[in-house]
Formats: sequence, C-alpha cells, structure tokens
Amino acid sequence: MAAPLIRTLHMGKRYALPAGDLQALVDVNIEVREGEFIAIMGPSGSGKSTFMNVLGCLDVPSEGEYFLQGQAVAAMSVNQRAHLRNTLIGFVFQSYNLLPRLDAVENVGLPLVYAGVGVRERNRRCRELLAQVGLERYTTFLPPQLSGGQQQRVAIARSLVNDAMLLLADEPTGNLDSRTSEEILAIFERLNRERRLTIVMVTHEADVAQHAQRLVRFHDGRIVSDTPVARAAAQRQAVAS
Amino acid sequence: MIYSELLRESGRSMRTNRMRTALTMLGMMIGVAAVVAMLAVGNGARASVNAVIASLGSNMLMVISGAQTSGGLRVASGATPTLHLTDADAIRSLPGVAAVAPASPQAAQIVAGANNWSTSVLGTTPDYLQIRDWPLARGSNFSLSDMRSAARVAVIGQTVAQNLFGGAEPVGQTIRIARSPYQVIGLLAPKGQSFGGQDQDDTVLVPISTAQRKLFGAQFGDTVRVIMVQAQGSELLAPVQDEVAALLRQRHHIAAGQDPDFSVRNLTEFANAAASTTRTMSLLLGLIASISLVVGGIGIMNIMLVSVTERTREVGLRMAVGARPADILEQFLMEAVLVSLAGCLAGILIGIACVQVVNRLFALHSLVTAGSMLLAVLVSLAVGTFFGFYPARKAARLEPIEALRYQ
Repeated sequence: MAAPLIRTLHMGKRYALPAGDLQALVDVNIEVREGEFIAIMGPSGSGKSTFMNVLGCLDVPSEGEYFLQGQAVAAMSVNQRAHLRNTLIGFVFQSYNLLPRLDAVENVGLPLVYAGVGVRERNRRCRELLAQVGLERYTTFLPPQLSGGQQQRVAIARSLVNDAMLLLADEPTGNLDSRTSEEILAIFERLNRERRLTIVMVTHEADVAQHAQRLVRFHDGRIVSDTPVARAAAQRQAVAS
Repeated sequence: MIYSELLRESGRSMRTNRMRTALTMLGMMIGVAAVVAMLAVGNGARASVNAVIASLGSNMLMVISGAQTSGGLRVASGATPTLHLTDADAIRSLPGVAAVAPASPQAAQIVAGANNWSTSVLGTTPDYLQIRDWPLARGSNFSLSDMRSAARVAVIGQTVAQNLFGGAEPVGQTIRIARSPYQVIGLLAPKGQSFGGQDQDDTVLVPISTAQRKLFGAQFGDTVRVIMVQAQGSELLAPVQDEVAALLRQRHHIAAGQDPDFSVRNLTEFANAAASTTRTMSLLLGLIASISLVVGGIGIMNIMLVSVTERTREVGLRMAVGARPADILEQFLMEAVLVSLAGCLAGILIGIACVQVVNRLFALHSLVTAGSMLLAVLVSLAVGTFFGFYPARKAARLEPIEALRYQ
C-alpha cells in the first residue's frame, strides 16, 4: 500500500490577532489516500477554510506536521510551496477566480506559464482540457462572456492543466443553480473515477456532499466526525423529500 | 517567468487601460523630450560659440579708441578716433607682443562690372590676417611694399566675392571703391558669423596707408579706430593688456584717476565667458528638465500602486496557481519599465521635433545625438526600475490567502 497523499499529525493553526490569539485548527489528524473524494462540512468559523488553505500549501501549520506526498510542508520555503501548488495541486473557488482580461485558453494555461511551458504546447493542452469539460467551442471567450457554470468548468480545466493529483474545491457550487451544480459535480465524479484524482471539497449543502465518498465534519477547529458517505441512504432521503 | 510571457502580460495590461497608460507615460515623455532637446540645443549653442571663438583669432587684444565713460555716461567705444598709427608702432615694440594691426573700418559702396555691393572696407596692415587666424582661400595678402606705396589693392571676403562676381574667380579682377579702381589680389577663406551675428565674410581689406591717404583720408587723417594686438602666448595676455594700457595712458597724457580715451579688451576672455555662460545655462535647463523626469517617475509609481491594489485578487490567484513572489515582482516591474520606456521613446521623438523648431528659429545646427538618446533610454530604464520597484515589491509581498479574499 502506497503512503497516503495527505497526512497530518496533531496539526494546528494559530493566528496572532490584535484582540488575542485565534486557534483556527486544533490537533487535526487525517489521512487521505490517492483517489479519494472527500467532502468537508461544518459551520462557518469551524476551520474548514483554514484547513483547505493549509492543504493547498497557501498557508503553513503553526503546530504539528502536514505531509503532502510524504514531504513536510511546514518546513518549506515560500518558493517550494509555490512549486507544489504549481505541480501537484489544483484550486477551484466558489467565485471561479478567472482573470477577466484573459480568454478561456489563457486562463486555463496560467499555471503552465509559471511552469515554464511554451505557448504552443500550452495552447494544445488547454484546448484538450477545455474539450474534456465540454467547452471546445468557447476557447477564445473571455470570462464575462461565459455563464457561471461555464466559468467554473474553465476553472476546473485550469486546476487540471498541469496534471494535479489533488483538487481542492472551496464551495465550487456555491454560486450555481442546482442543475449546473449537478453538471459540475458530475465532472468531479468523472475525474475522480477516470483519473484517480483526489478531491477535497468544502460544501454547505448535504446533497452536494453526497457526491463524495467520505464526509469529514469540522467544529471549532477540530474534526468531529469522519465517516463514509452512505450514498444509497442519502439518495432515498433525497427522493423522499 | 519567461520574458516573452512578461512582455505579453505587460502589453496586455497596458492596452487594457490605454488612457491611464498614456497619461502615465506623459510625465516621462515631457521629461525626456525636455532633456533631449536641452542637451541638443545646449551643444548646438556651444558649438556656435566655439566657432566664434575660433574665428576671433588667438591671444588677441583689441584696443578701441574713444572713452569708455564720459562724465559718468557710457558712450560707444570707437565712436571718436583717438588712436594714432604711431600708437600702433609703439605697442609693437612692447615685450610679449607678437603682432599689431591697426584697423579702420568704413562703409563703402563697391562696384564690379554691373554689380555693386555696400560693405565695410577695413584699412589695416598685412599682420591683420595672422592675428585673426584668417587664411586666404586664393591669391595673396598685400605686402609691406603695398603699404609703403599705398597701392590700390584689395583682399575680399567670401560674401563680397559672391555678390560681386557670383561664381566667377575674383582674384585678378578689378573693383571700384569710391570710384577708384582696386585690384583684387586675394580671396579670404570663409569665417562665418561673429558674436553679434554679423557676417564676418562681408568685408574688404585694403592697406591702411591706402585707406588713409586715398580713400577716407579727408575724414580721419592718421587716426585709427582699432588696434589689434596679438600676444606671444595666452599667459601673456593679461600682462600685455596692462602694458598696452600703461603705454597709451602715457602717450595720451592721461593722469592717474582720469578716464582713458581708449579701452583695451581681451576678446578671448569675453568669448570664454560667453561659452561658460552657455554651458551653465544648458546645465541649469538640463537640471530643470531632469526634475520633470523625477516627477514622471513618481507618476509611474502612483499609477503602479493603484494597479497593484486593483489587481490584488489577480496576484492572489497567480500565486495560488504557482507564481513565486519573484514572478509577481518581475511582472509589475516589467510593466513599470515598459511604460517608462514607451514614454521615453515618444519623448525622444518629441525632443527631436522641438530641436528642429529651435534650429529653424535661432539658426542653430543642433543635433540630437545618439549618445543623448542612449542616455535618455538608460535614464528611463533606471527611473522605471526605481519607481516601479516599490509597488512591485508590495505586490510580491501579498499573502495569497488575503489577496484572494480581497474584494
């Protein structure tokens, strides 16, 4: 059995604020294997976002350890973490975060710019990925010309463009209607199945969480439950309601 | 980040905010145009002053007849002839004097065939050309025997030759000065303009004996307006100046404390002073111009700070997808430098246009040199880097999480 993709050991995160220290994460221990699809839930202020920021190497834990692919992230320099984000991790945000001046192909190719990939190779890979998310006819569109669902699909293509192993999605369907949300989640499921892409997704909605295989709940900076998703039961529940 | 990507990205950002980019460039543009024009015009003015200095003749003093002041009132020197030919002979025997040439200019009408031309006829001695460093283009100078015999011979300047003979050879021809025939024996090399903007080539030289006895004798007798004195070296100019003044005071019986009826002027000093004035002026103007470069740089910094704030989320996203702080720094620095450089290139063009206009207005031959253009480019690169660095560093130091959250 290979080592887990993600492993945290007594991980904590403390922010020094003028009003006093804020303990955003307390003694978080979790292992995530390659190919898992995990949903994270919890009330606001429970530490979900901090957890995601640390997983995404945007922030470092102040206590304990975080290993990504066996590498200790806490001890890494800013540039080393930038390299990890560039090569291992893809981000999908609630508000898409596409650059409005760049067309779809250029937005998807942004991580490759920092990986030093030439423009021709970049465009080839971006077109391919846009086709995979069903946007082959929108390659030269600017974000404001695309619908919310289309923008989120561009963002997904961007998160995959450098063959990321880990997709971090922070409320990816938060700004979308339920039909479009289903489409996006279907893409997640397909990528998880076909690419063995590891997905960690924060959501507020229980039915969105049902698409994952494992559900982790946060409360006051701690993991309070970590259970497999009973998919069949959830589906019955959804039908009944 | 690859440079082609940086250029592409900066170009895109500049195009997106065309108006803002143009206004930001404006400061740089005006500064560079001013500096480039100042350097060129300063050089042009200096070159024309230098040409005048060279045309004066070297180590030259001028003794001008007439009082410098008269009862507290300054009157035009040379108005009343108080110097005498014997004064010139006396000066010649002073130590340190290399050559002396008395000169009496007088306006006269000159006729050659069907053409006539009004010019200044200068009665002088053969040494005049040596003192003025004035070579002959063709023919010969008049000789001492011409002086003794008061021969009717003339050496003419280029402008006179042009107006009387057109393209034809003047040497050997006959001209009429005050109705008397004179043989043209020499043609002077072109000399150009003097300080006052007078055309020095518009002149005719005749032996002073001829001028006094045959041409203007009735008016002036043996007096001369000016005596040119050449010292044996530049270090002797000041002592010779003092000696000449002392000698003439004695000869003219002027008591100590009394105003002399002549003045001794060191024209080289005057010319050097003019050259140094020109230099100081162009330095001062260049300094003022470079202040506008600094102001332009501050404008760039200002706009870049706005741009960084505006694009905080973009910076956060770029960092999230793998941009290192150095990549962000490069991106904003490149943009600042490009704006600065674009302003500089536009400024150079405007500067060249300004110089053309100034040249036409003041009859200068100023040229925007490759050196000054290179200097402008280097300065604009430096200004862009210097004033772009702080905003770029501010962007590079953003925390990705906070930047992504920024609204």
